[in-house]
Amino acid sequence: MHNRSLEVFGKAGYFNSQLRIALRNCGIIDPGDLDDYLNVRGFEALAKVLSGIKSEAVIAEIKRSGLRGRGGAGFGTGLKWELVAREKSDQKYVICNADEGDPGAFMDRSIIEGDPFSVLEGMAIAGYAVGSDKGIVYIRAEYPLAIKRLEKAIEAARKQNLLGKDILSSGFSFDIEIRLGAGAFVCGEETALMQSIEGHRGMPRPRPPYPSASGLFCKPTLINNVETWANVPVIVVEGAEWFSSVGTEKSKGTKVFALAGKINNTGLVEVPMGTTLRHVIYDIGGGIPGSKKLKAVQTGGPSGGCIPADLIDTPIDYESLGKIGSIMGSGGMIVIDEDSCMVSIAKFFLEFTQSESCGKCTPCREGTKRMLEILTRITEGQGKEGDIEKLERLGNMIKKSSLCGLGQSAPNPVLSTIRYFRNEYEDHIKNKKCTAGACEKMLSYVINDKCIGCGACKRACPVNAISGSTKQKHLINQDLCTKCGECYKTCKFSAIDKG
Amino acid sequence: MKTPLELLTDKKNAAAERLKEKGYLSKKRVYIGMATCEIAAGSKEVMAEFEAAKKQGLDIYLSQKGCAGRCHVEPTVEVVDPEKGPVLYTKVDAKKAKEIIQKHLIGGEPLAEGEK
Repeated sequence: MHNRSLEVFGKAGYFNSQLRIALRNCGIIDPGDLDDYLNVRGFEALAKVLSGIKSEAVIAEIKRSGLRGRGGAGFGTGLKWELVAREKSDQKYVICNADEGDPGAFMDRSIIEGDPFSVLEGMAIAGYAVGSDKGIVYIRAEYPLAIKRLEKAIEAARKQNLLGKDILSSGFSFDIEIRLGAGAFVCGEETALMQSIEGHRGMPRPRPPYPSASGLFCKPTLINNVETWANVPVIVVEGAEWFSSVGTEKSKGTKVFALAGKINNTGLVEVPMGTTLRHVIYDIGGGIPGSKKLKAVQTGGPSGGCIPADLIDTPIDYESLGKIGSIMGSGGMIVIDEDSCMVSIAKFFLEFTQSESCGKCTPCREGTKRMLEILTRITEGQGKEGDIEKLERLGNMIKKSSLCGLGQSAPNPVLSTIRYFRNEYEDHIKNKKCTAGACEKMLSYVINDKCIGCGACKRACPVNAISGSTKQKHLINQDLCTKCGECYKTCKFSAIDKG
Repeated sequence: MKTPLELLTDKKNAAAERLKEKGYLSKKRVYIGMATCEIAAGSKEVMAEFEAAKKQGLDIYLSQKGCAGRCHVEPTVEVVDPEKGPVLYTKVDAKKAKEIIQKHLIGGEPLAEGEK
């Protein structure tokens, strides 16, 4: 059932060392055709559980498989199901979290666009296991094609009696509807997501009570990520033993990563847990373009951390990544080469979380703002002695006291870059120097002796900082220069030094 | 009464029949990546080429597929010959699509650059 891409794409080196479970049908079947999905053992898992497997046994199977939430936190999926199943209520909900907001991550979109039925099947199985008849897919409105395919898939499944009332004449009913998110990053957080479905402003609320006891409309709610759902049918069909034979002791199965940044083969990669970062970057990703040196890998998106090049033999699993200051996250993996400045990378991610902070709790709202101010002044050459310590203190405080996962993880990129690249921060603050040459404001542009006095730079300069008469060497007035780089781009004689 | 599994098997068989009728086993199958990323890379034009060829009488099984995750080589076109197995073409544009139609689908010879 899994890894059919190998049969199809065979020799292509990119696929050789991958194991595709969640992505098993992506790029293989027609996502708009239920017949295609039925042909690859689609809905067999659902039919199997409906043909006389008790709901407790389904949950036990998921528990034994060792599957953990693929949204990032890695909570045991079987345990979550059990908690919801235990609750007594007239109504329970099953939610699929498809509010994928990490910059550069597109695992969920790819799964829904390439294989929407497997997500629906996973949700229906859970509905049976926890005693719910209502599923909701919360998906961001920025994924129009994914939404269209999902709508079509739900419609097709209903027509074939694979969703809706009395599925396959088993007496079990389960239907799924779609709710669109308006693109707020915080709505990927489970409690904010439910608030948003209820029609309120998307803001998280304190837990407990956990969604398993009181979630959507104050009813017991089971919420899992797209990738988690896509794993479920495989576990039911192939068995928990098979699934748990893949991966490490505490992290079972595979994980999909979106490889991006300075890497030759950008794309989606699904590897067994425990695979090393080196293997993913060099063997599957094809290394770094232009034979540049690897500097760091950023995992987990804006909530993750930067892993330095000397730790790339770390196996990828929830615990190992946590130990070195990063997180698994939803699966973003950004490769950073030697040309990048770690301080500005940390600033970039913090800019994102800062503007996406919902503003409900003070540590996240105020803390990330102050951290960003400090980082901005460091990258502009105005850093002060003690700024690093301030960042560390603030960061740890925000991590401990924020209300939800967004704030609790927002300082990660900053803290991890300080941990591994402290010297770069010190360089910026003490020597006012950015060795990677990425911080524009810290550069200075100087005209050298190659200048023939053509005047091109003078005309290009928007602030008239360049002076000099024709055929004479020109001069840049450093007090007026705004470091926009226009002169550098215009000069045809490499007569301007940047540094 | 049939169990859910038996009912599903019936559905599966009916689905297989429908696919066979469309020529799943008898014709050359052409799959074109049509996820958001592939469309952005230009796969709609490629699809149009194959659709036009089909309208003009080229007897193939044409289908879309999702993203296989190979962003660096999109758009991708996969040609499966029921007897010879699959060939994958990468970075396909309208011009290359025409070549695939002429040489591989009509002429029967896969292009040299196709990955087997």
